[in-house]
Order: sequence, then C-alpha cells, then structure tokens
Amino acid sequence: MTVAAGIGYALVALGPSLSLFVSVISKKPFLILTVLSSTLLWLVSLIVLSGLWRPFLPLKANVWWPYALLVLSSVCLQEGLRFLFWKIYKRLEDVLDSFADRMSRPRLFPTDKLQIALAGGLGHGVAHAVFFCLSLLTPAFGPATFYVDRCSQVPFFLISAIIALAFVTIHTFSMVIAFEGYAKGNKVDQVIVPVIHLAAGMLTLVNFASEGCVIGVPLLYLVASLTLLHCGKMVWQSLIESRNQS
Amino acid sequence: MDRNQRHRRSILDSLGEELIGILAPVSICMFTVVLLVCVLNSDPSSSSSASFSSIATAAYTESDSDSPWDRFVGASLNSLVFVAAITVATFVLVLLFYLRCVNFLKFYMGFSAFIVLANLGGEILVLLIDRLRFPIDSVTFLILLFNFSVVGVFAVFMSRFSILITQAYLVVIGVLVAFFFTMLPEWTTWTLLVALAIYDVAAVLLPVGPLRLLVEMAISRDEDIPALVYEARPVIRNNESGLVQRRVWRERGSSQSYHSSDIENAYREAETESEGEEDVGSSERSEISVPLLIDRRPDQGENSETFLEGIGLGSTGAIKLGLGDFIFYSVLVGRAAMYDLMTVYACYLAIIAGLGVTLMLLSVYQKALPALPVSIMLGVVFYFLARLLLEEFVVQCSSNLVMF
Repeated sequence: MTVAAGIGYALVALGPSLSLFVSVISKKPFLILTVLSSTLLWLVSLIVLSGLWRPFLPLKANVWWPYALLVLSSVCLQEGLRFLFWKIYKRLEDVLDSFADRMSRPRLFPTDKLQIALAGGLGHGVAHAVFFCLSLLTPAFGPATFYVDRCSQVPFFLISAIIALAFVTIHTFSMVIAFEGYAKGNKVDQVIVPVIHLAAGMLTLVNFASEGCVIGVPLLYLVASLTLLHCGKMVWQSLIESRNQS
Repeated sequence: MDRNQRHRRSILDSLGEELIGILAPVSICMFTVVLLVCVLNSDPSSSSSASFSSIATAAYTESDSDSPWDRFVGASLNSLVFVAAITVATFVLVLLFYLRCVNFLKFYMGFSAFIVLANLGGEILVLLIDRLRFPIDSVTFLILLFNFSVVGVFAVFMSRFSILITQAYLVVIGVLVAFFFTMLPEWTTWTLLVALAIYDVAAVLLPVGPLRLLVEMAISRDEDIPALVYEARPVIRNNESGLVQRRVWRERGSSQSYHSSDIENAYREAETESEGEEDVGSSERSEISVPLLIDRRPDQGENSETFLEGIGLGSTGAIKLGLGDFIFYSVLVGRAAMYDLMTVYACYLAIIAGLGVTLMLLSVYQKALPALPVSIMLGVVFYFLARLLLEEFVVQCSSNLVMF
C-alpha cells in the first residue's frame, strides 16, 4: 500500500531470518558462503521444476489435483536435492578437517556442524521467501493493495508473507534435523523431514477451498512449530551427548 | 589435545574471509544500482526527454517498431563498434605504458574520476532531487558536489588514504557508471554484455591480447599499473595468538609479488541533451578495470602454502577486482531490475556463483584471469531462464496460495 507497508510485508516474511543472519551467520564468512550456495541450489531446483511444468501451464483455476501433482513432484525433487547437499557437505567436511589438521587447528566442533546445517537450511528458506513472496511484492510499494478471491479477509501480500514465514521456519530447521539424521544414521529423523515438507506443501492446497486459508495457515504453523520443537529437542540431546563425551 | 584450552577457535571463524571481502562490495554496488533503477524508473522507451546516445548506440538506434531480427542485427553492430573502440583504447594504453608515460596516465585517471563523480554524480543527484522533491539550493549543491568529487579523486589516488573511504568511493564510481550504462536500449545492452565477455577472454588469455601484454610489462618492470582497482582489505594474520590485524592503509612497493593484472579501457562519450543533437563536450573518460589477481606473500612461514584443495583460498592473500567488473555486473542486474525483481534475484545469485567459480579457477591457475565471462554468461542464462520459465510457474503457484 505504501513503502512502509511493502517493507512491513518483507520483514514479516524475512524478519526472523534476518535476525538469525545478523546474530549467527554474519560472524563467520564460511556460513555466509554456505547460505549463498544453498540459495543457488534451491533456485536451480526451482528452475528445473518450472522447466518441467512449463508445457502444462497455465493450470485450470478450480481443479486442485494438478496442483497436488505439482507439489508432490516439487517436494520429491527438493528432498533429492537435500540428500545431494548432504553428500557434498560430507566431502567438504573431510576437506575442512584435513585443512584444519594442516593448520594445526582444532577440527570442526559439533556446534560448527550444526551451524553449517543451519546456514544451509536458512539459504533454502530465504530462497523460498524471496521467490514466492518478495518477488511479487513490488506492487505493494504503490498506493493500492490486492485481494485474492479465495482468501478475501486478508490482503494477498500479507497472507503470502505469513505463509512464507512458516516455510522459512520449516526449511531452516528441517535441514538441521536432516543433517543430524544422516550423520547419526537415525532413520526416524531421515524420514520425518520429507514427510514434514510434503505435509506442509499439501496443507497449502487447503487454501483452494473458499476461505480455506483460515484453516490452512494455522495448520501450517502447527507443522512449523512441530519442526521447531523436534529440532530443538534433537539439538539439545546432541549437545548434552557431546559435552558428556569431552 | 584438549579443545577447551584452545580458546574454542575453530577454523570456521576465519575461513573464506577474503571472499566475503570481495562479495560484499559487489553486492552493495549491485543493490545500489537496482535501488537507483527502481527509484528513477529509467526506461528509455518511456522517457520522452533525454535520448541517450553514446558510442554504444552509434551504429543503430533501437526503436520498438523494428522486427526482432533487425533489432538483433543492429544491437550486434552496436556492440561490435563498442568493442572495437575499447580495443583501440586499450592498445593506446599499452603503448603509453610501454613508453613509460605513467604520470600522464595517473593524471588522466584522476581527471576521469573527477569527471565521473562530478558530472555523472551530479546528473543522478539532480534526478534524485527532482524525484524525491528534496529542497536544496543550487549553490549549496554545487559546493557539496565539488567537495565530494575532489575528496573522491584524492581517495582514489593517494596511497595513504583511509582504505574504507577509498573502497566507498570506488563503489560509488562503479554505481554511477553502471547506472548510465543501464540507460542503453535493451537488446544493445544484452549483446554488449555478451560481446564484452568474449572480448575479455580474448584480451586476457590470447598471447596478442592487449591486457596480457600490459600485465607482462607490469610484471617485468615490477611496477603498479595505474588503474581503478578495488582492493579487498588485506588481512595480516598473526599465527600464534590468532590475532587478526587489518592494514589501515595501502603501502606501495611492499615486498609483494603481484600476480599480474589486466586492464581494460571503457570509453564513453557524453550523452546528448534533450534540446538537440549537440554534444555537451565529449568528455572521454577512460576507466581501467583490472580483473582478479591474488597477492600472496611467500615468506610467512607455514602460511605460504595454505591452499585448500578444491576451494583454493589463500590465507594471507588479498583479492583485487577491477572496477569494470563491478560496473558490468551491476549493468546486468540493473537491466534485469527493469523487467522484474525475480530476475534480479536470479541474476544476482548467478553472478555471485560465477565470481566464486572464477576465484576458484584463479587459485588453480595462478595467473591473471578475466572476471567477466563466467559471471556474465551465467547471469544472461539465468535471466532468460527466469524470464521465460520461472515467472509463469511462480506466479501460478503463489496466486493460488500453493507453496512448497
């Protein structure tokens, strides 16, 4: 509606990630590089997806199952990419450890590994927020606003910012869960991440119903807070373990 | 090896610092140009007054009524003319350097920096004042502008100036020139970027390329090339205590072996006024850009060979990036901003990725490398992919509030 509103919407979607960036990630240059590369990876996956789906667009407006297919294919591709990211990270970890040995500095601490996973997840989350929310925000800086039929109580920009915030949380912390799960070989953690992602994607399909966003968005936030809790519990346990060991 | 006694300093604290030292100013430059483009809304087809003509539109002026093929041919002719002009100018520079007219070159650098800051900076400030309705009188404005430009000239050419101000002024010069390049017509801009990327590869890597000749001459004489070069703050690392000291000002003639630098001249004539075709005194401004090179100090004990295999970061190195690279990256992003913000993000990420790849190649090949080609090619590819594929997909999904 004005510049103030536009900046407000942008901060709703990206405020927590900005504070996370400033407090944790900007202190270590390597984490900034990790954020940038994971953002790039997410963008590449999005381009591949749009290339795959381009012949079928535009989809019919009121039918929901093509969108379900779209979400399913996207989530599968992105989870595959997460696994690829993990493989690259493993090799990088070996390189970093040998570098640390040569410099006679300590190897990577467990907190370092968690921070790298956090940075990777933040990159994914920021890429999601940027491409799904911020890039459409340009009209919000002007004098008017826009409402979608299906969700007529709330301006479109606000609802997309709120959904983007939920997804940022989910992406950021599910990366931490995934990396810990792969590192420790914990099957539950490995499986729960794609499930959470798929559930979140499918929940946005609830928005198809008229006024569906009243139900869909709170459920989405439920999933996001579940992710947060699980990640917090897992990290706490892992830290206590490593403190007991050393 | 008790970790608790080692101050908990892991390698993650300082790895990649030099890379961030280059990425940050490039990002700031691009962000400022995007901001200027968005605020000033400078689309040549919509602006009725100033028709921008420079040497880059000498062969063909674009108009919307031509067919795509005509526009493409015309834009290619434009780029050819521009690249030819740059080649001639670079050879003149090589000749002058060969004849040891270094003082003349330095004076010319200072003069062109002053012209860029005063002339282009003044124009952009006037446009901004007009758009934002900022109340200021012309006498104050002239005094402030003059002071700003003079300090800028000193900052760029005195070696004992505070390095932060020097870096800031170099970024400002890059922003000003890039903004004016974004005012070129669209097809010309894209073909020009691609042509410059190809020219960069040729000029740096071919044995007869002017930049390579310049670099070899500079190495053989062990001299500095007078050029506008952005230098990331060099970091002196003290190995025992883990303290990091930052050099406050640049020292010329210290015991560093420069790994060659490249120079590229970009000439540009002043744009014409709106009242007619009169030239407002063709102020030829030559601006030198030097692509990537790493300073390494080989005498720091065990730090000399600290290269990370596969990543290639010198731990005591300082990375230098030429101003022309700043400018053309920002031109690409600024032109993407004229379409939509989604293309801006895609191009920004592509350019950063290209810069990272170039830096890795630099650590592998250990000689002067052109910084333009990889980033520009990736940027152009991502721009067209985003524009053709991504936008439709994302708008479809978001407007139905389906996200993943």
